[in-house]
Amino acid sequence: MPFAGIDIGSTMTKAVIVDGYGTDVASVIGPTGAEHRHLALAVMDETIKKAGLSFEQLDFIVATGYGRINVPFADKQITEITCHSRSIRALFPTVRIIIDIGGQDSKGIKLDTDGKVMNFIMNDKCAAGTGRFLEVIAETLGVKLTEMGKLSLKAKDYVRISNTCTVFAEHEVTSRLTEGATIPEIVAGLHEAFAGRVVNMVRSLGIEKDVVVTGGGAMNIGLIKALQEKLGFAVLVPPKPLLTGALGAAFLGKDFVARGVTSERERRFEGVTFFK
Amino acid sequence: MTDSQEYYAGVDIGSAFIKAVLINQKQIMAYKILSSGGNYKETARRVLDQALSKGRVSFDMLSGIVVTGIGAESAPFQARQFSDISCQASGCKSLFPSARIVIDIGGQFTRAIKLTPQGRVADFLMSEKCATGSGRFLQVIARILRIKIEDIGSLSLKSQRPVEFSTNCAVFAESETISRIAEGARMEDILAGVHRALAAKVAMLVKRLKMEQDVVLTGGGGEDAGLVSAVSEALGVNVLVPEYPRLTAALGAARLAKEEKPGTR
Repeated sequence: MPFAGIDIGSTMTKAVIVDGYGTDVASVIGPTGAEHRHLALAVMDETIKKAGLSFEQLDFIVATGYGRINVPFADKQITEITCHSRSIRALFPTVRIIIDIGGQDSKGIKLDTDGKVMNFIMNDKCAAGTGRFLEVIAETLGVKLTEMGKLSLKAKDYVRISNTCTVFAEHEVTSRLTEGATIPEIVAGLHEAFAGRVVNMVRSLGIEKDVVVTGGGAMNIGLIKALQEKLGFAVLVPPKPLLTGALGAAFLGKDFVARGVTSERERRFEGVTFFK
Repeated sequence: MTDSQEYYAGVDIGSAFIKAVLINQKQIMAYKILSSGGNYKETARRVLDQALSKGRVSFDMLSGIVVTGIGAESAPFQARQFSDISCQASGCKSLFPSARIVIDIGGQFTRAIKLTPQGRVADFLMSEKCATGSGRFLQVIARILRIKIEDIGSLSLKSQRPVEFSTNCAVFAESETISRIAEGARMEDILAGVHRALAAKVAMLVKRLKMEQDVVLTGGGGEDAGLVSAVSEALGVNVLVPEYPRLTAALGAARLAKEEKPGTR
């Protein structure tokens, strides 16, 4: 009994297929382009192939992420808040706060002791505090986004970045460089500023242990370190931080089927022309 | 010219431009604007020298000099300092005695100043945290569209259907601009959309100060006709714009040099 979850984020599209035991059997991550529908199908197709399955064999497909409405082949669309909390509940039952740092937004989700969503907060209004902040400045510094974490660990001290706005911080970083600051010190300063913003946002939910960090931000070791410093304790990171949304979506599909909800895909597909 | 003639100079040392204005008791005699460059001291000296020579006045003939702006500390000559708020208020008040709100839109931040009916500063607010509230937003988008800052205004005025951005963040608006262009949006509609977003931020500042007429728009933003029109629309009044919007703070500085004699404060 395979179930699929697909998470169309602002930057990346992720798909996961799990079996009847909830074990992840295949996953694919691809960049989100302008054509969501096209891409959703391509990523799903690839995941199905990787799992050695066919489209018809999938018992249920759940779509999530900000592009979830553009997944015509999904049985249900569910918000990423629900999906993240579903998979985190399964992976880390002790978690009370999820910090999800995406390419163009960041979220804080508070769970009760049973793992149900109590409250959440989100920033998608301002690039500061989202992955975009680091992406823009990585380009200014001529550093790869994926290398920023390791780079910052080389710094003995960090350069304080006083501007919140990404546009102004970009300028500030160039001035610090000309003043002789090293790139690792600057990158460490960026992580410090970033972590400060994210923790401030989440603080309004009331921080309780354990805290898990997901999304692309969780793959940045320097950012994780900075977040831990701000919080004052260690955080959890899932083995595949980009996939928690898609994984939760797949789990929710499994839950639906367990409750007797069945896929209506075949019926809905009659008379629908797919674009591929 | 008689021997009783008095001369005063105001120098505004900004991050992008340094401006000097030379006045006598009655009128503006000369002005000069140069781009700041890396050496504020040297540029400030050159700007003042050139303004003086245009006015045929020597440095020794000056009865007072006031410096203002972000680089006021690096003035290479003896001068008193006044805040940009005081100078901006004084300069705009002298040009538009009816002014009650002065909006200064610069490259890095926007200031809104409220004046009493007598022309004193009653209150002011600054937007410096976010690029969307300043000329920087326009620079970011102009760079993407590959158009010159000075061409933005006239292009924007041609817009029939301004683009409505889904975001208030300059960084997100940058990527939105790229996808809008891919979808076939017209350049003038994008620029008019940027003007509207910026004007909305400016209007928020003015609202917090409580709107009062007349409104003067000064700073580099005053040279952008599209922005002037968007701010007028957002506030629901026709804003007044000085002939040389970049010079009002330097003018105010010169006027303060004349009015606020040393020892009186």
